[in-house]
Amino acid sequence: MPIIRLPYEYLETLTGTDRETIINRVPMIGADIERIEEDHIDVEFFPDRPDLFSTEGVARAMQGFLGLKEGINEYPVTPSGITFRVDPGLAEIRPFLGSAVIRNVSLTEEAIESLMGLQEALHWAVGRGRGKVAIGVHDLDTVTPPFYYQAAPRDRAFVPLDFDEEMTMEEILDRHPKGVDYAHLVRDYERFPLITDAEDNVLSFPPIINGERTKVTTATKNILLDCTGTDMKAVMTAVNNICTALADAGATIESVEVDGAPMPSLTPSVRTVSVDECCRLLGISLTAEEMAAHLRTMRFGAEPEGEEEVRVTVPCYRADIMHDWDIFEDVAISYGFENFDAALPESFTTGKPHPVMVLLDGVREILAGLGFLEMMPFTLTNERVLYTAMQRDVNPGVLRLQRPISEEQTIMRTDILPMLVETLQINHHRELPQRLFAIGDCVEEKETFQKVAAVSIHTEADFSEIYACADALMREMHIAYEVDESDDPAFIPGRRADIMVNGKKAGVFGELTPDAIRAFELDAPVCAMEFDLRCVQGRPCL
Amino acid sequence: MAELTYNEKRLMVVLNTVKEATPEVIAGELNTTAEAVVQFAHLCAEKGIATLDRTITVSYSLTTEGQQYAALGLPERQVYASFRHEISMKDMQAHPLARIAIGWMKKKGWVTIEKGQVIKTGEAPEGTDEAALRDPAASREGVLELVKRGLAEETETISYMVSITETGKALVEAGLDLREETGTLTREQILSGDWKSLNLRRYSVDKLPRRIIPGKIHPYQRLINEMRSVLLEMGFTEMYGGVVQSSFWNFDALFQPQDHPAREMQDTFFLDGTTPLPKNWEAVRDVHEFGGATSSAGWGGTWDPAKAQTNVLRTHTTGLSIQYLKDHPADPVKAFCIGRVYRREAIDPTHTPEFEQLEGIVMDDGVSFRHLMGFLKEFYGRMGFENVRFRPAYFPYTEPSVEPEVYVDGLGWVELGGAGIFREEVTDPWGVKYPVLAWGLGVSRVAMLKMGLRDLRQLYRSDVDWIRDTPMMQGGRD
Repeated sequence: MPIIRLPYEYLETLTGTDRETIINRVPMIGADIERIEEDHIDVEFFPDRPDLFSTEGVARAMQGFLGLKEGINEYPVTPSGITFRVDPGLAEIRPFLGSAVIRNVSLTEEAIESLMGLQEALHWAVGRGRGKVAIGVHDLDTVTPPFYYQAAPRDRAFVPLDFDEEMTMEEILDRHPKGVDYAHLVRDYERFPLITDAEDNVLSFPPIINGERTKVTTATKNILLDCTGTDMKAVMTAVNNICTALADAGATIESVEVDGAPMPSLTPSVRTVSVDECCRLLGISLTAEEMAAHLRTMRFGAEPEGEEEVRVTVPCYRADIMHDWDIFEDVAISYGFENFDAALPESFTTGKPHPVMVLLDGVREILAGLGFLEMMPFTLTNERVLYTAMQRDVNPGVLRLQRPISEEQTIMRTDILPMLVETLQINHHRELPQRLFAIGDCVEEKETFQKVAAVSIHTEADFSEIYACADALMREMHIAYEVDESDDPAFIPGRRADIMVNGKKAGVFGELTPDAIRAFELDAPVCAMEFDLRCVQGRPCL
Repeated sequence: MAELTYNEKRLMVVLNTVKEATPEVIAGELNTTAEAVVQFAHLCAEKGIATLDRTITVSYSLTTEGQQYAALGLPERQVYASFRHEISMKDMQAHPLARIAIGWMKKKGWVTIEKGQVIKTGEAPEGTDEAALRDPAASREGVLELVKRGLAEETETISYMVSITETGKALVEAGLDLREETGTLTREQILSGDWKSLNLRRYSVDKLPRRIIPGKIHPYQRLINEMRSVLLEMGFTEMYGGVVQSSFWNFDALFQPQDHPAREMQDTFFLDGTTPLPKNWEAVRDVHEFGGATSSAGWGGTWDPAKAQTNVLRTHTTGLSIQYLKDHPADPVKAFCIGRVYRREAIDPTHTPEFEQLEGIVMDDGVSFRHLMGFLKEFYGRMGFENVRFRPAYFPYTEPSVEPEVYVDGLGWVELGGAGIFREEVTDPWGVKYPVLAWGLGVSRVAMLKMGLRDLRQLYRSDVDWIRDTPMMQGGRD
């Protein structure tokens, strides 16, 4: 989640209150303080609130929350007369452009840092790593309108930001640090996005890098904003958030005509919401006027419309408000979570465990009664443990992870017994005898089902011991079974048996073959069993 | 004083009569072996009621060779007697004992040897060795000489003398119960009531028993079961479901936008294969694209059914909750699930790629955010976390959202999960009638707090000794 740096001095200037008040109250608008430093705090905000990704935005919200200023801020927009043209050739590459002119900025080093921080957080939260939206901020006075957003040949050259020589766009992808980081977003296209002015000066190669020519400095007075991307709504969220943040810092906003359509509008949207629905959802009782007052402290415009409804004016920067309940949440935050009267509802229900869990609990009880200790191994494992070391063939139904994170975890277990033998290996240095069991989910193809396995290792572990345990398990589970000689290669021939239920193989037990024992770096006899709980008659279904 | 065994008592009775005797004598009285008497006497001596004196006696006896010479004389005496005054070396060597004898005769000064002739010096007195040969007790010097020559051997004899102490006397005179001791009771003794008159062997409570290792349910499973009990007691129905889920149920039905970062490869384990979309999937598409029939604007853009069909290892159990609600859209629902979930995380002490998640949902007419807080307080309280507070939060599929925190001594406020009311975009496509309160809790995190673990991996790669040493219950023993 984005971490925003809030310099005290700047924040105090914008908010009109002291730092202690801010530090104390900021967590209750939904934020975590990461660290408190000499001259600033770093605060983590939720990704759905891009309007809090700048000092200006936080100041705006805190003013309301602290009762210093209520209601919605006005953001007038006047036409700049500047036009922007979008090349239809970008349709398949990066079709959308949002733009604005921001005049009379007074950029201190701190304000520039704040702007860069906002840009970075928007790139992450709204732009999804610049894929969906990329933002360019330019010194307007270094270029000549109108502007042109085009699909340009890959060998078009210009001086990229922080460099002093011309490079082609292809070279930028190979050599410029930002080019290397974001090359994957454009590399596959024949032509690359490019923004130029009336004199063919390059402003930007979105979403990679701006030109050095239009670099924003403390001397910059007027800004041209470009936001390009693949989703118009997300593009405008970025535009609106940058414009309103800078407007709050004293700038004026002018619109740009993009293919004839003026933008941004920065006009709020209007929603009329039900007081009753809000009160029922939150479980509190408010009048329309009280509800409106809460919303004004959250910096909405809000007026009661009769007793039943509130007319809410939603600022253009509140990208998270997509449903009436999003507004009700702000009512709850303003009301204060600590002021809710937590209570249980009065309706009566009875509890009921899931039959699968009842079955598993019963089997656990039987095996613990037989003297086995329960283990809860991972369900993700690898072919070596699950099959090779067990001297078994790979089950064709085993489920593989497309992109495993380590060689240890590449597949989902189809059996549990190998995990127990691995557990014996982990506990090689512990006193014998060790008698362990595990129970739980296995997966074959897409089906989830349950198995139980048990192992015993000590100098006298043998077929008779595990046969007796398997027999006890089957008796206690009340399952009629027969045994057949098994051909399971995990066990020693002549010392292995299949558990047959209704003529079908349901499990296996026996003495582990010394090849398997050695493969797990063990050195004592091991007897083991495994039973597929799908074979329990009337087995509970998922 | 510790209780006397039957045998110790019998010994004391005899001792009280004889006051002092060898074990052999006492053994005759007790009809046992001298070795057994020494053992009993040793135990009595430890209790201060008898003394056991140990004497080591050394005695000598002739070896077989020595016994031959005892009859015929030492080799040098036999050879000395076999010639008169003088004999040539060559002639003397015809005697079978000559090789041993020559050296000794010279050493004892009986003969001199000149130019191949052995000549007697005239003096050949009987030595102490010869006296000892006749009687080993006659000369200590002589017998040691014989031991050196291998003609005699030394034997150590340990003898004991047992005597009674004043304490012992007093004890016996005070009277002893001399009935025979019984170890294991027989069926007859139990049935007949004879056991009452038997002298049952007493066991020492000071001696620790051997350690038995019981079979046990895993401590983590016990914690999971404790949580299950709490929820069952609170009237919740348990859910269970498959580990493999379609992206549709795992993400889309929960209104996670299709470009949400959690849906990317770095966070989720994707699997081969696809699962067909369920009936009514179009309603989910509609809420994503424009909010469907709700007041929502939706995410906009185009929702891709192919993306929803891809399979994943479930990243949470919330996909089961929405499927449960789909099947029970109108009734009051209180349901929960504790199940394993999968995240594409590298293993370290606080992260594992699989772990348990607990979640609960409540759907009923008139339930509200206030009740969500009520359930959380109640649940955490029953889990032993009395102090609960709430902070605003953000989760993609709940609105309003809340982060409950519990107070843990030594740690302060700890976040244990997330909660909220399911967005209408989540519930509306399935015709769910009332608000759905929902919460999720990291079970392994609670386990770390409750069991004092520092490393999550311990839950899954268990050290057998840890489970052996973790008591079933947290009683009053530190």
